[in-house]
Amino acid sequence: MAGLELLSDQGYRLDGRKATELRKFQARMGPFAQADGSAYLEQGNTKALAVVYGPHEMRGSRSRALHDRAVINCQYSMATFSTAERKRRPHGDRKSTEMSLHLKQTFEAAVMTQLYPRSQIDIYVKILQSDGGNYSVCVNAATLAVIDAGIPMRDYVCACTVGFVDETPLADLCYAEESGGVSSLALALLPRGGQIALLQMDARLHQDHLETLMEAAMTACKGVSKVLDEVVRQHLREASMLTRE
Amino acid sequence: MATVQVSEAEKVYILHGIRDDLRVDGRGCEDYRHMEIETDVVSNTDGSAKVSLGHTAVLVGIKAEIGKPRPMVPNEGYLEFFVDCSANATPEFEGRGGEELGTELSNTLYKVFNNKQSLDLRALCISAGEHCWVLYVDVLLLQCDGNLYDAISIAIKAALFNTKIPRVHISSDEEGGKEIELSDDPYDCMRLQVESVPCIVTLCKVGHRHVVDATLQEKACSVASLIISVTHKGTVTCTRKVGGGSLDPESIFEMIEAGKRVGKALHAPLMKLLQQEESLGKKRQKVGFLG
Amino acid sequence: MAVDMRLPTVSKTVSLSVSAFDRKDLVVPGDVITSDTGFMRGHGTYVDEEKLTASVAGEVQRVDKLICVRPLKTRQVMSPKPFNGEVGDVVVGRITEVQQKRWKVETNSRLDSVLLLSSVNLPGGELRRRSAEDELTMREYLQEGDLISAEVQSVFSDGALSLHTRSLKYGKLGQGVLVQLSPSLIKRQKTHFHNLPCGASIILGNNGFVWLYPTPEQQDEEAGGFYTSLEPISLSDREVISRLRNCLLALATHKVLLYDTSVLYCYESSLQHQVKDILKPEVMEEIVLLTQHKLLEQEG
Repeated sequence: MAGLELLSDQGYRLDGRKATELRKFQARMGPFAQADGSAYLEQGNTKALAVVYGPHEMRGSRSRALHDRAVINCQYSMATFSTAERKRRPHGDRKSTEMSLHLKQTFEAAVMTQLYPRSQIDIYVKILQSDGGNYSVCVNAATLAVIDAGIPMRDYVCACTVGFVDETPLADLCYAEESGGVSSLALALLPRGGQIALLQMDARLHQDHLETLMEAAMTACKGVSKVLDEVVRQHLREASMLTRE
Repeated sequence: MATVQVSEAEKVYILHGIRDDLRVDGRGCEDYRHMEIETDVVSNTDGSAKVSLGHTAVLVGIKAEIGKPRPMVPNEGYLEFFVDCSANATPEFEGRGGEELGTELSNTLYKVFNNKQSLDLRALCISAGEHCWVLYVDVLLLQCDGNLYDAISIAIKAALFNTKIPRVHISSDEEGGKEIELSDDPYDCMRLQVESVPCIVTLCKVGHRHVVDATLQEKACSVASLIISVTHKGTVTCTRKVGGGSLDPESIFEMIEAGKRVGKALHAPLMKLLQQEESLGKKRQKVGFLG
Repeated sequence: MAVDMRLPTVSKTVSLSVSAFDRKDLVVPGDVITSDTGFMRGHGTYVDEEKLTASVAGEVQRVDKLICVRPLKTRQVMSPKPFNGEVGDVVVGRITEVQQKRWKVETNSRLDSVLLLSSVNLPGGELRRRSAEDELTMREYLQEGDLISAEVQSVFSDGALSLHTRSLKYGKLGQGVLVQLSPSLIKRQKTHFHNLPCGASIILGNNGFVWLYPTPEQQDEEAGGFYTSLEPISLSDREVISRLRNCLLALATHKVLLYDTSVLYCYESSLQHQVKDILKPEVMEEIVLLTQHKLLEQEG
């Protein structure tokens, strides 16, 4: 461990959270008027914007169109000023290409693409400020944007990054923890059915601990789903109040 | 939505409207749309600003890094520009689709802002010939609804106003080597003099007249536009014709005159707003994207 | 020269209607609507383990045994949420492509709509036969970028709409202003064509495209709806149209349903302001509140 104590003896983390506590969520659905759906999400100090275009006619080559379902097209990018060290390019590097692919796979599992044959749905996410758990925040923001666009989904997709320190799983890692040598695991969950849409782990972890960590990740994702649910319902109440017959 | 289609009849309608100084949204030829400006929106930067003009939305982040001065001007720092036309703004920008526009914008911004008349570049020098501050000005396009240049230039001016560069102390050790030490105190910082930073005014020639702050529909009817950067004193620092089509010399002079008048008038309300925001300090309710 | 710069504020939408905080018919994706198997599954729902479940966030609507969830519109103004057209809907659309014997039309739907050459009235009367020559001169009638008003004739199996303009009220649109709004804001009415007493006409397309144009003096039957006048329109007409345009955007920002009365009341409420000032947030709020008062009074 890099000199920093990630979990104090009293059970508090660097930013004063308990082990299973999520960061503070702040969200807004529909900040942009031109896109079909959009959402902005702050999870602690990580800030992400997601926009959704579609479903619409295939763009570019029509040969990519699928006759039985819609194509989901994702792009993950980071603002050049989003990290402590300035990034040279916002997207196109290996890391963001991989993230784009993961996002695509995650949402193919949740969006009811079979309803829109020969069409395309674009999901673009942008990290404006990065402080750990980028992938998870993007998935959560994209879920809100897809709901905002009114595109049918089986369930929410909720994601959370968890880590394992001193035999204790930590929920919703921030950057200091992610870079502090914690073995982290990113999980995207369809909470209602308990289906896993994405599971990714790059670090070493003893096999015996995997189950505990997975459990913790699922619990954290369910926590996220509660928060997102509240955001959507609140938004729904506001919107339904306004469209009056 | 970087491009829109308009039918012949719509074009005629827009053209006649501009001739009569009554545009489709009720504005006169030299009126801007409603503009919202906020600074200090992203915290990983040394200065940032968000501007929305109609549906156009841009976010500018400035990061100061220590670099080596250019050999030609050893006692000056410099600015670097990067414009990210992100796919968030329009699906056309996906992948490399926004690169061309991004390069065009950033090259123009470099010409407009990176000179002594716009910003005191000597203030960015730390030790002549060895170290200077490099300001990385990163522009992120979030939504395009016409008139990108003006919105970006105002956002850059606001972000420069907001920029706080840590103070530097230079100490030399016995062997004559210099050591640079950054101040740890976040309040011990240097601010930039943004008074003379220019604003860009884009004039779109539509029919026989020209308009400022053109919407996408108006842009579709215009033959060509002229961008003019003007300082608070009314000095023109850069002009450039953009877009296909051609302009005759007479109308260029007319447009420069109009641009000077409009550009000069932009500075006072902008500075007033920035100072007002600054004076609110911590009491200001941060809106950002949650508005 | 006028410029209006300000700090952003947290926007609120104004409304006089009752609070919806205790409404039970609002669902989010994954919510089980009913586990009773006697119901039929409509738009915005799916069946999972024999339970009828919502797949979008919105309002549950029940017609007999059919259950649908209508997605609720968000704050957005221009948002082109996909329009699901039905036969008989009035749409305003833009020609995107001229193909053999048909035009492709952008109507805010998931797939481009189709206007067949056989579904339009060509100059020279209704019973005219369509010749090979007509196929070659299709671009003379309608070309890329042209706007049309039309009616949905049928819906293809993949969801694309087939349009027709076989009535004098439909056809190519001339000079005027297009406002793109969300389809859910358009109230369904007997007619979507209105000559407003304030001096302009409006087509409220079911697809959320609204067309504002100067009230025509008389219909020219011979041209089959393909002739458009390019004569300048008077300044007073323009002002009315611009005012209506800004009023529509103000109403849409505050999610007020659009129909002839609401638009007209909003127009009247806006008269004390200059046209260009209507879109300032505080003016919009004031005008929309006034409009809502008037609508409530009229309802009784």
